[in-house]
Amino acid sequence: MANESSAKTFPHSMSRREWLALSAGAATVALSACNTQRPIEPSLVSIVKAPAYDQSIYDTMRRMLASHSLDVRGRNIVLKPNLVEFEPESSINTNPLVVHAAYEAFHAMGAASVRIAEGPGHRRNTLDLADAAGYFKIVPQFEDQFTDLNLDDVTRVYPHRQFSRVEKLYLPNTALGADLLVSIAKMKTHHWVGATLSMKNLFGTVPSGVYGWPKNVLHWAGIDESIADLHEAFPHHFSIVDGIVGMEGNGPIQGVPKHAGVLVAGNDPVAVDATCCRIMCIDPFQIGYLRLASDTDSHMSERNVNQIGEAIADVATPFDLIPEFQRLRMVKS
Amino acid sequence: MSIGTLVNKQNSDGGWPYVRGGSWTEPTVYAVMALLAAGETEAAGRGLHWLRKARRSDGGWPPRLGIDQSGWVTGLVALLPPAILGEEIHRHAVRWLLGTEGKETTRIYRLREWLLGVPSPAEQDFPGWPWVPGTAAWVGPTSIAIMALQKENRQRPTSAIANRIREGQQFLLARMCKSGGWNHGSSNALGYAAHPYPETTGMALAALRGVTGPKVEMAVAVAQKFLGECRSADALNWLRLGLRAQDQMPHDFCPPSDVARRTIPETSLDVLVAEAVRQGRDVFVNLV
Repeated sequence: MANESSAKTFPHSMSRREWLALSAGAATVALSACNTQRPIEPSLVSIVKAPAYDQSIYDTMRRMLASHSLDVRGRNIVLKPNLVEFEPESSINTNPLVVHAAYEAFHAMGAASVRIAEGPGHRRNTLDLADAAGYFKIVPQFEDQFTDLNLDDVTRVYPHRQFSRVEKLYLPNTALGADLLVSIAKMKTHHWVGATLSMKNLFGTVPSGVYGWPKNVLHWAGIDESIADLHEAFPHHFSIVDGIVGMEGNGPIQGVPKHAGVLVAGNDPVAVDATCCRIMCIDPFQIGYLRLASDTDSHMSERNVNQIGEAIADVATPFDLIPEFQRLRMVKS
Repeated sequence: MSIGTLVNKQNSDGGWPYVRGGSWTEPTVYAVMALLAAGETEAAGRGLHWLRKARRSDGGWPPRLGIDQSGWVTGLVALLPPAILGEEIHRHAVRWLLGTEGKETTRIYRLREWLLGVPSPAEQDFPGWPWVPGTAAWVGPTSIAIMALQKENRQRPTSAIANRIREGQQFLLARMCKSGGWNHGSSNALGYAAHPYPETTGMALAALRGVTGPKVEMAVAVAQKFLGECRSADALNWLRLGLRAQDQMPHDFCPPSDVARRTIPETSLDVLVAEAVRQGRDVFVNLV
């Protein structure tokens, strides 16, 4: 049976007097909050140069994760790459070397377990897809380390905040049960939402065994809104974006490879994705799901990001945009 | 994996997982079909019991127990013979299928689009079946529903069933990729042509049994090319079922020995194809 996990809490029935007292109290708190500048703790985002998919990625990944001081000792980690299509020569899938480098790094940092898990939205034969993408060659005993999230046992989840019309989602237990879910996305343009990065990569946690191939429920509910829903469902995931060779133009499938030569990481997906947008010369404030998932003065703003490693200006690489998305182009200040 | 593996992988509740874990409707239907085709009735009976228990009050089936909506797997269950599943249960499953279509062809949606001045693309002229009600129709669930209704129409023909089969087949022909074969449903996105997939091409050809013409011929050629290149068990199973339905399966074809059958549906469909070859009839559509 599917389990049920309600993240929502519903108020018990209240009397009119209780409501009035509560409303007055809330109004007082709200008014006093207006007079207080709530300081925002900057989110740490690292950008490291990684010119090619070679053995140096292992050391680069170790150093990059070390800079985030993650304490994963004794924790269960789930790495979630982006696997889309059987096209090993294209830049469509997260490169297996990046995923294996993260796998090794988290083990070295003391994680109790590290699994790789993905639920592709187009193709049913996930392991064959992973094989074609090179995962069996790069990751020893890959099949034993891997969970197909499309076919995993599921739990019914009600996100704390909802942006789409979908009231609930059935999500895979492997992803929900992780102490740390690590989205290892590909840096790509996307012909419906502008850019697909660590947050959009969470579409792969929605099980096709329940929703089908493709996960059309999310399209009808609004792609931007569904991404924001998933961000709420997995609020503490860590993000790594493979921008060594990304995809520009008509992404996320039919675009062309684009070398940006970077890995980007951080524990705030909004800040990481906004930083990736800037590297791609896309205005993050024009990306609908980033706007939905962030507060007014959020970690989308550069001033609220504690960015380490390379400066954006030094690695910025304009990704070609299809005509419909020329409006996303970042205006030079 | 083989029949013995299917029996070993059966959960204690009578259903099957895709790989491991709880029972799902799709692998349970395929496993029951494979076991029945091979004459393994005891495990199949426990599977049928699970399926009857999983049935929802609207006559359809959820993807697995605990999910509160019927979906595309209802078409799969309806492929089981009524005498085995239960006549009344089967009748309700067929009724569920007849009452389900992709959202884009429903009257309310079309009225809304008309009021908004949105032109309706030609490929949305014919109703297919969705994965989940309230969403668009796709090649996979449409192919399965057509096969179930074709089977029903041979036993208890009605004009309503014949109409839905014809419309479903027109849906498939309208959604074919420009180069032949089928993607999961869109023949293009933002003006860019979509590429065909082997598994959906096989499924659609299986559902187009009895349909002839240049489009089907083009799709058969694509499927035969895929058959020679493909190393995925799921895709090879559907390509063989599709080409057999079109009587275009190369007689000398032998699946590559290194193909891994990792899931219950992959193993079950492989058994069904092998039984079809051995028995000289299509046990997938005509189980008994």
